[in-house]
Amino acid sequence: MSMTPEELKKLKVDKVVDARGTSCPGPLLAAKRAISSVPVGGIMEVLSSDPGTKRDLPLWAKKMGHEFLGVIEEPGYWRIFIRRKK
Amino acid sequence: MPDKMCLTIMSGSIDRLTGAAVLVSAAVSMDMEVEIFLQLWGLHAFKKDVIQKNMNLSEFNELGEQVAKRLQELKLPMWYELLKQAKELGKVKIYACSLAARIWDVKKEDLEMVDEIIGAGEWIEKMREAKINLFI
Repeated sequence: MSMTPEELKKLKVDKVVDARGTSCPGPLLAAKRAISSVPVGGIMEVLSSDPGTKRDLPLWAKKMGHEFLGVIEEPGYWRIFIRRKK
Repeated sequence: MPDKMCLTIMSGSIDRLTGAAVLVSAAVSMDMEVEIFLQLWGLHAFKKDVIQKNMNLSEFNELGEQVAKRLQELKLPMWYELLKQAKELGKVKIYACSLAARIWDVKKEDLEMVDEIIGAGEWIEKMREAKINLFI
């Protein structure tokens, strides 16, 4: 049950991770590195220009016990929202 | 069963090593433990005097330059940089096959990133415990 782009745009994001300079698996590594600096309950937004990331990160979040909130498609990149759960 | 991936790396070709390093990075990101066993050419590619000089490809040699250029544009680090990052970020152990170590007459100190030299029997036991096993 992911959120709509309109709902996602209203979220207060605690950390933005711009991984647009990297390719798979760069954004995944960047997400793993960054999540520890997000408070539990807080939201991380990952920017990626790699088309694999929008499918990788929901799986990553599930595996790590976090919540995938949704994704916004922008021209040439994706914004992926994740809530840190633990 | 531990959440572990094992890779037996026989190849010393940088295209295959790059593919392996991408999977290792992804596995570490997903919190998997990773163990790597280096056989013949794979071990050769980890030698300190070889690791950065190696430009060997396993196939489509005529496309090598094009691929290298694209990888640079896409900012993918070299395979050994990816592995180093993965080692810093997660649990990655790299073992040298004891036979290969004898073939190349190398010690741990002659090799980059290698944690231990082990025999095939021990490696079989490690693979037995892994959820994912790859031969590269």
